[in-house]
Amino acid sequence: MLDVALVSLIEDLIDKAGADGVIEFWQRVGENLANRIGKEAYMGWTSFNVAVREGRTAYSIEGDVTPLTDMAIADVDGDVVGYIYAMKQCCYFPTAMRVRYTVGRLSGADLAVAREYNENFHNIAWCNFCVFHERFREEVAKNIAVAGNPLECLLLATRGFDGETRISSKNLAKININHEHVRALLRNYECVYALLMRGARLKEE
Amino acid sequence: MDSMEHGRVIDSNPFVDIATHLFLEDLASKVGVAGLNNYLISLANNLAGSMPEEEYETWDEFLDALKNGHSILSSFEDVHAVTKHCVVTRRSPFERGWREYAKRVGAFSKVHREVAEYYNAKAKSTAVNSLHIILHTFRSAASKRIQVGGKPLRYEQIGTVWVDGERNVVGDDRLPGMMKRAGISKTRLGMLLRNNADVWVLTAE
Repeated sequence: MLDVALVSLIEDLIDKAGADGVIEFWQRVGENLANRIGKEAYMGWTSFNVAVREGRTAYSIEGDVTPLTDMAIADVDGDVVGYIYAMKQCCYFPTAMRVRYTVGRLSGADLAVAREYNENFHNIAWCNFCVFHERFREEVAKNIAVAGNPLECLLLATRGFDGETRISSKNLAKININHEHVRALLRNYECVYALLMRGARLKEE
Repeated sequence: MDSMEHGRVIDSNPFVDIATHLFLEDLASKVGVAGLNNYLISLANNLAGSMPEEEYETWDEFLDALKNGHSILSSFEDVHAVTKHCVVTRRSPFERGWREYAKRVGAFSKVHREVAEYYNAKAKSTAVNSLHIILHTFRSAASKRIQVGGKPLRYEQIGTVWVDGERNVVGDDRLPGMMKRAGISKTRLGMLLRNNADVWVLTAE
């Protein structure tokens, strides 16, 4: 019931601290959680991707993550420096349904927080939880080393409750993957992100 | 999406529960134990207040709704009536979230226990940690929204057992009266506390 109660908490917090205050809260909580999970190291991408499949990485706390090993990210020398990862179901979807079937309606709190985030931070959020786990994933990436290199996480695309999609042009440009590839992924996945070696020299468009 | 058996809502993603725990810890660092206690109480009251009122003609009709998950009192819990007035919750609705927290994050922050002690001192209840403040307050507020045979429902908590076996039972001054209203003996209470998460009493005032 904690998740449904959370929705009441957010509604109340928006009244007290505003939607921007809620975003600050969520970002801090995302950082705290990532840092409490601690550091991880993997020999290379193969061992990291196996760990993701087996649910052993810090990212596994979110639920089932699929490493899309056919979508490698290469650097200027053609070496693989990252991959794309995707979740079939948004972590927050069960909560949205639970709110619907216990309280009887969906909450407006998600819309208020997501709108504020999309206007002022990154136009990719659908609910409170997008705000929380974009920051969470960014911080977790710093704590994971693959072949001795810390990672960077880029949130690429999301599909909302009603089927509408959001794709991050700025993050796609960084890894040189076009919109259509990601749009195709969104037919099967609700949340798509990239993990790559921090500081990698990526191919120019 | 999982099916909804017996009218119960689908399970939450425990990640959302963990995020909420951290949200509460963050809140406690700002407002202290007393502030968190007030917050949890208002959170549970808001949640109950957002759910629809209920009315039943007979006690048996109410018990049917309760055990089938159709009452707001059983929306979040797997509850069973062991007598006409004694209700047990088999597994804590917070168990999955807590287990995931312990697995991925580490030991539960001590603020969850501290706030429960504060709450018990004020409300003479049997909370073991912060989550029980939400649960007990919610049940109390939700029961006031239910009428059986034209009379409002009254909820009392007899005992709470946390996932690790730690238990808290109401004081000796109130226990005999509650057991009488519940229709159970002290031996039966011991049996119920062994394999359930909560033992509570419902009566029509």
